[in-house]
Amino acid sequence: MARIKVHELRTKSKTELLNQLKELKAELALLRVAKVTGGAPNKLSKIKVVRLSIAQVLTVISQKQKAALREAYKKKKFLPLDLRPKKTRAIRRRLTKHQASLKTERESKKEKYFPKRKSAIKV
Amino acid sequence: MAPPAKATTKKPDPKARALKAAKAVKSGASTLKKKTKKIRTSVTFHRPKTLTKERNPKYPRISAPPRNKLDHYQILKYPLTTESAMKKIEDNNTLVFIVDLRADKKKIKAAVKKMYDIQAKKVNTLIRVRVYPNQTQRSLKAPQENGGYVCWGQIN
Repeated sequence: MARIKVHELRTKSKTELLNQLKELKAELALLRVAKVTGGAPNKLSKIKVVRLSIAQVLTVISQKQKAALREAYKKKKFLPLDLRPKKTRAIRRRLTKHQASLKTERESKKEKYFPKRKSAIKV
Repeated sequence: MAPPAKATTKKPDPKARALKAAKAVKSGASTLKKKTKKIRTSVTFHRPKTLTKERNPKYPRISAPPRNKLDHYQILKYPLTTESAMKKIEDNNTLVFIVDLRADKKKIKAAVKKMYDIQAKKVNTLIRVRVYPNQTQRSLKAPQENGGYVCWGQIN
């Protein structure tokens, strides 16, 4: 089996990826049996390769799924919690930029009519 | 004769209404009935049943349900090939596997059936702790219903 290339994986559909995952896992099961029963070294070294390719396939599957979900929720008002920006707990609880910049009518008028002037003394 | 007519029509209006009200109170009409007191037959007060609505979330909390992490491949890790295990294969018509700790007998039975096409008659499990302190695995013995057994050497 040739080494899996991730950019090829990304072109595949979900069912194809799941099938590939199944095959890889079956292969891994065989290899593990071989490990226990004293298999050939070429089999033993293949274990790592297969494990990594399983991880790659799973990563591609989950990335595709997330992207599709984000598309589905693009227009909606409420997002599921794992699609919202994670950042940190404190940052999520801060005022948004818009909320922090709100001013009362009085304050904005004051700023408009009496702006802060800058002056300097001529040397 | 407008003014006297007006006076006469005005007078009975409030008076007639007042008379009507007095009559109603006297006769105990339904519109003026006093609120009846609820009879309590028990000393304790239990919360009355109120409306309970079904959940109807505006958005799911998790965007997609997580994949099943304990699938058949994860359950059956590898077979045991020690001498005693080999003996069991020959004499007792059983197979010995190392199995994930979170798997129960039902899941093991299903996994063995799916992966190796074996109908297990009985599954025993035990948790290995003594010799291998780092590993926590369950071994299972799966007797086969039919007479045949699988020799692990042949799979390779």
